[in-house]
Amino acid sequence: MQKIITTIILLAVATPAHAMHISEGILPFNWAALWFAVAVPFVALGVKRLNALAKDDLSFKPLVGLMAAVVFIISCMPVPVPTAGTCSHPCGTGVAAILVGPFVSILITAVALLIQALFLSHGGLTTWGADIVSMGVVGSFAGWFAFRGLRMAGASLGVAGFAAGLMTDWATYFTTSVELASGIRGDAPFWPLFWKILIAFIPTQLPLGILEGAMTAGMVVLLYKKRPDLLVKMRVLKAEEVAA
Amino acid sequence: MRLNTQYGHSHPLTALDPRVKLLSALALLVMVISSRGFAFPLLVAGLSLALCLGMGVPLRVIAVRFAEPHFIAFMVVFLKLFFSGHVPLFSFSLFGLDLIGHRDGLLEGLLIASRIAGAVSAMALLGFATSFTELMAALAWLKVPRGFIEVALFAWRYLFVLFDDAQVIYCTQKNRLGYVGYRRGLRSFGTLAGALIIKAFDSSQSITTAMVQRGYDGTMPLLKHKPFRGAEVALSMTFIFCMGVIWNI
Repeated sequence: MQKIITTIILLAVATPAHAMHISEGILPFNWAALWFAVAVPFVALGVKRLNALAKDDLSFKPLVGLMAAVVFIISCMPVPVPTAGTCSHPCGTGVAAILVGPFVSILITAVALLIQALFLSHGGLTTWGADIVSMGVVGSFAGWFAFRGLRMAGASLGVAGFAAGLMTDWATYFTTSVELASGIRGDAPFWPLFWKILIAFIPTQLPLGILEGAMTAGMVVLLYKKRPDLLVKMRVLKAEEVAA
Repeated sequence: MRLNTQYGHSHPLTALDPRVKLLSALALLVMVISSRGFAFPLLVAGLSLALCLGMGVPLRVIAVRFAEPHFIAFMVVFLKLFFSGHVPLFSFSLFGLDLIGHRDGLLEGLLIASRIAGAVSAMALLGFATSFTELMAALAWLKVPRGFIEVALFAWRYLFVLFDDAQVIYCTQKNRLGYVGYRRGLRSFGTLAGALIIKAFDSSQSITTAMVQRGYDGTMPLLKHKPFRGAEVALSMTFIFCMGVIWNI
């Protein structure tokens, strides 16, 4: 009974907005440094991939910059979350991972997070590494694997897009819980705090994942209907799939 | 969306070399997140807020900027008070559940909350006192890869253009009842995001054409730094040294 009531209290006090970003100053130095060290190689690989692609196509860097602006805007757009009775914000990284691949998507996320940290106080410089790992690395790869895996299994664009959005959001939220619990636990054991944080995220993140999935699916289907050439250019579809 | 960019154009802090400001802010952040007591982070918070007000940043802007981090700080204190620690401080009954507040949990929560306040204030001060272009140039000086800086500059330049487009699409959708009901709202939001992606693709092509005509060869020019001024460096080193001494007490 006590556990049930504790769960209800945690659900009632869930953080409503920008739950994906770990706030500036929340992680102690050793954890901030660790997550930064984990994030750096992925961002470096993203830059390497960007430079390789930009050699063949001069418009690729401006395109990635504009994609970063789109991810920034999408992650600032309020989406109503029915269960929490409030608004929350999608990640937008699943979309980027589908279109430009996971490594460039990590770079895009890092840029969007830096601008949000500097000028909106969403996230921060000390938690930049942790936020890149959760939203960029885990979110992008989860979305990309879900999309590619389902497409290879023969799923439609809409279904694969939905799964990509959903997995991006939920994987990010799971990783954020790990990072928060490990960072703020102090001397307390990890698992109890981890479960409490995970439960506290449920009212917003569970429905938000579904909403983000629907949004990603809608967006991919719109691109297919209106501008299939872009999906071919970004190697999301083969030319013969569009012709068919 | 209101991005809080540079304030206090005539303030001495704004005129300071962006590399000096960035390095000082990073040093302060490291000290704040590794501090063992409340006093130092709160001192940094107080100092930064006083400087923000001195630069003419409106109180409303500061309040909006700090709303989310402070809400998170409150949540952390709540979690640590009731779900962490061993020494009971108070207890009460809620719907038959005995909730126990712990003294050591409260202290740990307050320490994290003070670090959030200190770090957010220092970052806000850096953001208010430095333009984005200057910050990017300072990051380039710190050997952050050029590709990253260029993408960030493109993103910053076209953020406002795309945001205006997003607002126009959103208002049009809203006027046509595009956000009545969750189902329709979701479809509209998906369309909005898709339309933004299409605009981003099309704009990237026209931007590249225009830039190539002006000599773009794949690399963007950055702000050129003036040589370091001895007085600025000495002042900032003295400041960091003093803060380091206070941090160590």
